[in-house]
Amino acid sequence: MEQKIREQADKLYMRGLHVFARSADMESLELVAELWQKAWELYRKIGDENKARELEKSLVGLYKKKYLKVRERKEQQGSIIKKFKEWFMFFKIGCFGFGGPMAIFTLLQDELVRERQILTDKDFLEGAVLGDVLPGPVTMDIVTYTGYKLKKWSGAIISTMVFILPSFVMMIILAMLYDKYSITPKVEHVFKCLGAAVTGLILSVGLKLSKAEMKDYRELCILIWAFASALIFKLDIVVIVGLAGLVGIVIYHDDTEKQQVK
Amino acid sequence: MINTLLKLSWVFLKIGTFSFGGGIVIIPLVENEVVTNYGWLTKTEFVDAVTLGQVTPGPVIVSATFIGYKVCGILGAIVSTVSVILPSFVMICLATAAIKKFRENKILANFLRGARIAVIGMVFDAGISIGKSSLVDIKTILIVVISIICLFKYKINPIWIILGAGIVGLVT
Repeated sequence: MEQKIREQADKLYMRGLHVFARSADMESLELVAELWQKAWELYRKIGDENKARELEKSLVGLYKKKYLKVRERKEQQGSIIKKFKEWFMFFKIGCFGFGGPMAIFTLLQDELVRERQILTDKDFLEGAVLGDVLPGPVTMDIVTYTGYKLKKWSGAIISTMVFILPSFVMMIILAMLYDKYSITPKVEHVFKCLGAAVTGLILSVGLKLSKAEMKDYRELCILIWAFASALIFKLDIVVIVGLAGLVGIVIYHDDTEKQQVK
Repeated sequence: MINTLLKLSWVFLKIGTFSFGGGIVIIPLVENEVVTNYGWLTKTEFVDAVTLGQVTPGPVIVSATFIGYKVCGILGAIVSTVSVILPSFVMICLATAAIKKFRENKILANFLRGARIAVIGMVFDAGISIGKSSLVDIKTILIVVISIICLFKYKINPIWIILGAGIVGLVT
């Protein structure tokens, strides 16, 4: 009889251990606690104080873990505000991205990579690759890409909408004014100054990104080639990025893994 | 009304699908559809639409909002904006998901590695070509130098640099 109960208790304990080893989320923690509790009761019944004490210790550890989990979950709920801040960032960039697509590009790099560290330089450039190869404005593509990375489809929808909203609203207001008075703002001069600022911003972002990506002469070669074919030969962006990718397949083909910095 | 909205949506879905590279590149495409094919806008109105698209902070593609508004009011604006965004939106999401899935694939990783560097080249190219058209006097050259110093040395948020340059342009 005693033997049977002991076996059963051992079994319960082992099952708990398995569940515990497999995953550590809330549900399995509860299951483990339940199983071990039963095992503990059985050990007590047959008077095996040593085993019971051992189990008590494990249970204390388990409850501690559970408590931490609950607290963590509460903190996550509190982070809705944090999330709101993330979406607000896209709104902010949507509001201040005056001066053409490259201005927005700089703002995004600054906020996403430097300020908030949501993306690494590598991720950011990957978003830009997608934006260049696929249709649509590159900046909006990066926003969608980041949103998708953060929270899948819902993230992509929210970030894109929030990003486009300011200019959408502003455009509607301008269109209404245009309909009534047929005026357009005279902004040529402002744009010259904005262009100058964007030039500075773009060059520094370019330098920053090259610092992150340049590792040896091969990268330098691709960079110079891409730069020259855009500036001198006026090749299409899609062609340049695509070709560089193909070149990448060839020249990194027998690269050792250690150079693939994750 | 619904007919026009459908046409509007169709035109901008098409434009959204073929606007590779984005930005100014697609303007002739839009002009062909909106001015020549459908006659929704006159030539001057279209030029104004593009100008306004550059004035607003977002991508130039927001000109679609203006065109939609001219054709069908607020509803038209919403329809055209959503249509122009939708194709690239869906493609980006699918591509991001695919990249995540095939992250371990060596060929894709190497392709991205090469392409990433080309993008940096594009960034420099954009800097040069924007600079060529906007560096016209001492003032603009000063703005470039100041903005580089601000961003590199003092790590100031670029929003302030853009706003500051805009104010300088308005005042002087």
